[in-house]
Amino acid sequence: MTTPRLHEPDNLVLQARDVHFDWSAVPLHWIPGDPVATHLVNVLHLLLPAGEEWFVRVFTEALPLVRDERLREDVLGFIGQEAVHASSHDGVLDHFAAQGLDVRPFVRQVEFMFESLLGDRGVTGERGRAWLYERISLIAAIEHFTGVLGDWILNAEALDRAGADPTMLDLLRWHGAEEVEHRHVAHDLYMHLDGRYVPRVRAMGETVTMLLALWQRGHRYLMWADPQVGGRVKGGLHHFRRTGPAGLTPSGRLLLPSIRRYLRRDYSPLGEGSTEQALAYLASSPAAQAALR
Amino acid sequence: MTAPIPPSLNGRRDRDPFWVAVSAVFGGIHRVRRLRQPVLPPVRPVERDLAMVVREVRREAADVVSLRLAAADGRVLPAWQPGCHLDVLLPSGRRRQYSLCGDPADRRTYRIAVRALPAGAGGSVEAHGLAEGDALRVRGPRNAFPFLAGERYLFLAGGIGITAILPMVHAAARAGADWRLVYTGRSRTTLPFLDELPAERVTVRTDDVDGVPDCAELLSLAAPGTAVYCCGPAAMIDGVRAAFPAGTGSTLHFERFAPAPIVDGKPFEIELRGSGVVLPVPADRSALDVLREAVPGVAYSCRQGFCGTCRVGLVAGHADERAVSDADESGLLVCVSRASGGRLTLDL
Repeated sequence: MTTPRLHEPDNLVLQARDVHFDWSAVPLHWIPGDPVATHLVNVLHLLLPAGEEWFVRVFTEALPLVRDERLREDVLGFIGQEAVHASSHDGVLDHFAAQGLDVRPFVRQVEFMFESLLGDRGVTGERGRAWLYERISLIAAIEHFTGVLGDWILNAEALDRAGADPTMLDLLRWHGAEEVEHRHVAHDLYMHLDGRYVPRVRAMGETVTMLLALWQRGHRYLMWADPQVGGRVKGGLHHFRRTGPAGLTPSGRLLLPSIRRYLRRDYSPLGEGSTEQALAYLASSPAAQAALR
Repeated sequence: MTAPIPPSLNGRRDRDPFWVAVSAVFGGIHRVRRLRQPVLPPVRPVERDLAMVVREVRREAADVVSLRLAAADGRVLPAWQPGCHLDVLLPSGRRRQYSLCGDPADRRTYRIAVRALPAGAGGSVEAHGLAEGDALRVRGPRNAFPFLAGERYLFLAGGIGITAILPMVHAAARAGADWRLVYTGRSRTTLPFLDELPAERVTVRTDDVDGVPDCAELLSLAAPGTAVYCCGPAAMIDGVRAAFPAGTGSTLHFERFAPAPIVDGKPFEIELRGSGVVLPVPADRSALDVLREAVPGVAYSCRQGFCGTCRVGLVAGHADERAVSDADESGLLVCVSRASGGRLTLDL
């Protein structure tokens, strides 16, 4: 029997899913025997809760400016999904602490970035709006990566082969699938409110710079603070040279061409990843299916 | 940028040099950019409403009519897929959602079907009063019930729920998938579109002949690895959800209608701290429903109390009917929590 051919689903109503995860049985090194690759992915757990809460605050601030009913509905669906993502990753951080990996110093720095550097600067009027638009341009650039990474994790079969923990994989893939599902929203919001090309390029430059710096610092920190590694292996971006080609983490070969696509004037996030694949995962995800019952 | 720079990761320095540098660069860029007054492009409103005309009204069952709608100017309509619905703005201003139940390949007309509910809020009765040539505005189509490629399907349709399922059945049949449909209702005369369903693979199950269906029995028709698509009355969907077996590789799909109706609510008032405006919240509406009308751009999302995006600060008053998920007394999840009377002052 052949699988029926259907069109890529379109015009989706975005809705948050009330998912829950039980972390109690998840080992610290959830990619067995590979703390280096485990922590390269774990850096995302450190960045996402504070980052996604910031997305929700910024988009909430933008809502009254939206003059497109449909985009407004998309933004409302988006903030609900992001809020649940943030709280789900928070659960992982508590689990790290329970296993003797104290991530608070790093999380504190991430919170400083999102709440203070990128927070409300007390500017009003046109300058306030410009600062809002600038933050939306950053979120659009970050959401480009979350969509690309979401597509990556949905297809990262090497993690299954490596025996990665199923609960952790379900968290990452449920999250990744919703990122793919809503990948157009931040870009649509930016294009609706501002839409200028140069700020988009600038936002991508700032995002790439900070993402690389935080990934390097986060990985070095996790390898240093991990009670089982005990600082014997030094962390850093150079580990991607092994883990990327092995399929255990994303790779430069994946991210660099996607940045070139983002910089095209006719960029559309819909070209990254597959809604059909994302929805198919959400239909079978243990956490997302449990949320239906 | 008021918060202090955080300490270094190893705790040896009070201000991490990395963040000192980032703050300096970031602050510098902003100081330079602030020398110029920003020039922001204006936001262009986007009109999404489609002006439509009723082209055909057909009686499909005892209390069901179908309406065929076309663009007022006869143009090609936006494409849609099985599971999509349309937001219909009725002449009275009521807004109702109806599943598209026609053929997605027909790009000139949309078909919806409406069951008359004389005890309802008036939308279905109004829709039944529409005649050929009447004008309507619609928005959409949008999809809250996506139909995914698969090899095996079980469709469960209850009464008017067939509208969402019908295009899925045809798509599954066209794709050559292995599918079955169980179509339930009170009696055959109340079931629309029986004439559009193929005879084989379809089981019609009516209460007057077969008794009230048992959800576990319906689901027993699903072999492992079946995608089950269910659309019908809320009680049927809840029954199927509760009876759905885990661990068989089968997946469950239904349209997630936003909030459940409020039961045993009591009227109370909310006051907006900023403006001092006082708004009454009736027993059958949430504080969020009332706020959405009064405050443009109010944030919310799941409307079921789990995402937390609608939380607002609670300045005064006692919210004594809180949802379980809303324990923090300093705020209020306006989508689900309420008071049994009196006034709540919100930080809005």
